[in-house]
Amino acid sequence: MRMAIQGIGLCGGFGQGIEALRTALQAGRVEPQEVCIEHQGGPEHFPAYRAVVDQLTEFIPKRALRRIDHFSKMTLLGACLALKDADLLEADRSRTGVVIATGYGALKTTFDFLDSYLDFGYSCSSPTHFSNSVHNAAAAHVSMQFKATAPSLTVTQFEMSVASALLSAQQWLAEGRVDQVLFGAIDEYSEVLHYCRQQFFAEGEQGPVQPLDFTIQSAVVGEGASFLVLTRADQTAAYACIDKVRLGNHQVRPLELVPDERLIIGADGHKECGRWYASLLKDHPVTAYAAVYGSFPAAVGFDLAVAALMLRDRKLYLDSEGDHSSPPVDLSPAEKLSCLKFGPGGDYGLIQLST
Amino acid sequence: MGRILPIAITGLGCLSGAGMNLRESLENLFLNQRNPRPPQRFSTDHPVSYPVLELRDEFELPLDQQETVYARTSQLALAAALEALHDAGWEAKDLRGKRVGVCLGTTVGCALNCDDFYRAYKEGKNPGMAVIERFLRSNPATVIARQLELDGPTQIVVNACSSGTDAIGIGASWLRAGACDIVIAGGADELARVTYAGFSSLMITDTEPCKPFDVNRKGLNLGEGAGLLVLEHKDVCQNKRVRGYVLGYGSACDAYHLTAPRPDGAGLKQAMNEAFATSGVKAEQISFVNAHGTGTPDNDRVESRVLHEILPGVPFVSTKGYTGHTLGAAGGIEAVFTLACLQRGELPANIGFSDPDPELPTTPVTENTRIEGDLALSESLAFGGNNAVLILAKGEI
Repeated sequence: MRMAIQGIGLCGGFGQGIEALRTALQAGRVEPQEVCIEHQGGPEHFPAYRAVVDQLTEFIPKRALRRIDHFSKMTLLGACLALKDADLLEADRSRTGVVIATGYGALKTTFDFLDSYLDFGYSCSSPTHFSNSVHNAAAAHVSMQFKATAPSLTVTQFEMSVASALLSAQQWLAEGRVDQVLFGAIDEYSEVLHYCRQQFFAEGEQGPVQPLDFTIQSAVVGEGASFLVLTRADQTAAYACIDKVRLGNHQVRPLELVPDERLIIGADGHKECGRWYASLLKDHPVTAYAAVYGSFPAAVGFDLAVAALMLRDRKLYLDSEGDHSSPPVDLSPAEKLSCLKFGPGGDYGLIQLST
Repeated sequence: MGRILPIAITGLGCLSGAGMNLRESLENLFLNQRNPRPPQRFSTDHPVSYPVLELRDEFELPLDQQETVYARTSQLALAAALEALHDAGWEAKDLRGKRVGVCLGTTVGCALNCDDFYRAYKEGKNPGMAVIERFLRSNPATVIARQLELDGPTQIVVNACSSGTDAIGIGASWLRAGACDIVIAGGADELARVTYAGFSSLMITDTEPCKPFDVNRKGLNLGEGAGLLVLEHKDVCQNKRVRGYVLGYGSACDAYHLTAPRPDGAGLKQAMNEAFATSGVKAEQISFVNAHGTGTPDNDRVESRVLHEILPGVPFVSTKGYTGHTLGAAGGIEAVFTLACLQRGELPANIGFSDPDPELPTTPVTENTRIEGDLALSESLAFGGNNAVLILAKGEI
């Protein structure tokens, strides 16, 4: 069953909102922020695509956000912006499902909870950090904020989180359980994540990200939230439609692509995943936008937003490898776009979109 | 919403504090035996020792270096999957060439809460990546798909304590949509120091064996385990023994509080009504309910009131007295028990219950109880306000 994209809400290293993404796409590349961590041996500086969430107070009073962590704030901001974009901020949401896809969940709060008992003993474990570290806490905040009493689902499947969660959103709409789905893809940066990535990838974390060079490690860590308002496609789409969602494992049964299928690939400078793109993609026209929002499992949500925006604008925004002195390439009304993401083990998610 | 196509259940597998497989679990349930004790696999400096229900024995998988390759949650999931596939008459080689999805619920199984690693990181000791590598290898759905060389969608549902129930409902929908031929669905979760500390911080764990629905209930006992079902489209499982069917599934959110259920039970009622609507079943056709029944004051109060209102007089039981609260696994284990009890025509006593709570309008079964009929309901409530309900049928319908 096709799903129509009616609204988009975003926050990431490029800024907040769909216009910020469009501006970033026109530039082709966003410079990551410099993050500094204080160690015993001195400060460490490195690049990261961090998300700012200050627009959230336009929707929710600051006081109500006091005990809400950064992960849930990104989630709430993405949801608010998507509903506003779809002109549904004031609508009845008793038939709105909430689906959240995340690779790692609320990392900072997970470690904050560990801090509470490692620093002060188990009898001082923080109930606030514990309840907010549960993976579905962000979805709960969205449901509570918007009085969304229809089903709520949080999915975590590393790089496949977005495609897998979309499959379930599609079924909710197909079976008539909901009339619309507030679909979000979120991941957050944490210092521990940086430490792990450094151990795994060493100097590769310094960027600049070169997503289409599959032979080198060039990923730069990112974070953000990408939300879509989805309905059944019997309603006219404000952006585009998601035609098909497919998941599988390329090693077990090789993925066959339609010849000339235009692809936005989730290559983000990770060499281990890059090998799968290298082995599959021959003459397909591909673009990759990790240089706009960085590397994290749920970034596929941003790829989807880019595809939807390009199909609505009928323009192919060039990626960081393109010649940005030229205007964007026009897309024909019949053009289709697919978002393809590989995980390190050859598992893939393919999401096909059209107008 | 209207009726949905029934999905066949052809295999069951489970292990928990109640038993190392389904047969042993049922034996212990109907002998009314349980074995709560302080945790053996980890320790804390907490001044109070809360009893938990750990697996009674170790278990072996056809894997080299089982403990270091995959995290315990994935090992539990794989053990239950192998039992369920065997029960369904599937050998791994026969699954190749088919589209087989894996949809599982968990909580601990996908949380990066490696506290020994993190302690070393905090102390500036530059810990190695072995634990992180194991975490990255150990997504339970991916582990099953990888070990059995499956091609199909994988999904981990992290809806806290309703994850397993939701995963079964979602897995069934994949089959109806034609996304798969077979789905392995359910839940798995290990006991962990993090959840032990977390639930004790919320002050909802009992210092004694838990007492679901009893007036003296003080909270839950944590548990661990996995419960998985093999689901098949009816076109795939022709001429096979069918244990039962997923007839209906409903899910709804309280949108009320992060950890407490909505006092009027509106979300649970909505999930129940959706399960009835999708199954075409009426409340009076339900033989029994496998309740969430954690033993916490709030949960049991809400659940009892909703059961009294929607399913008056229908026998119900919480099996968490036998298994502990296995979090993301609970819905999977309880769906397995629900169908097994339907087939047996008998419910185990709600262990731990002895004194009725005058605040609760209805009470669970207090002894092993014969049941008539083909249909039962299994329900889960969760942090985040999630409510999920399955309606299951036994045998041929």
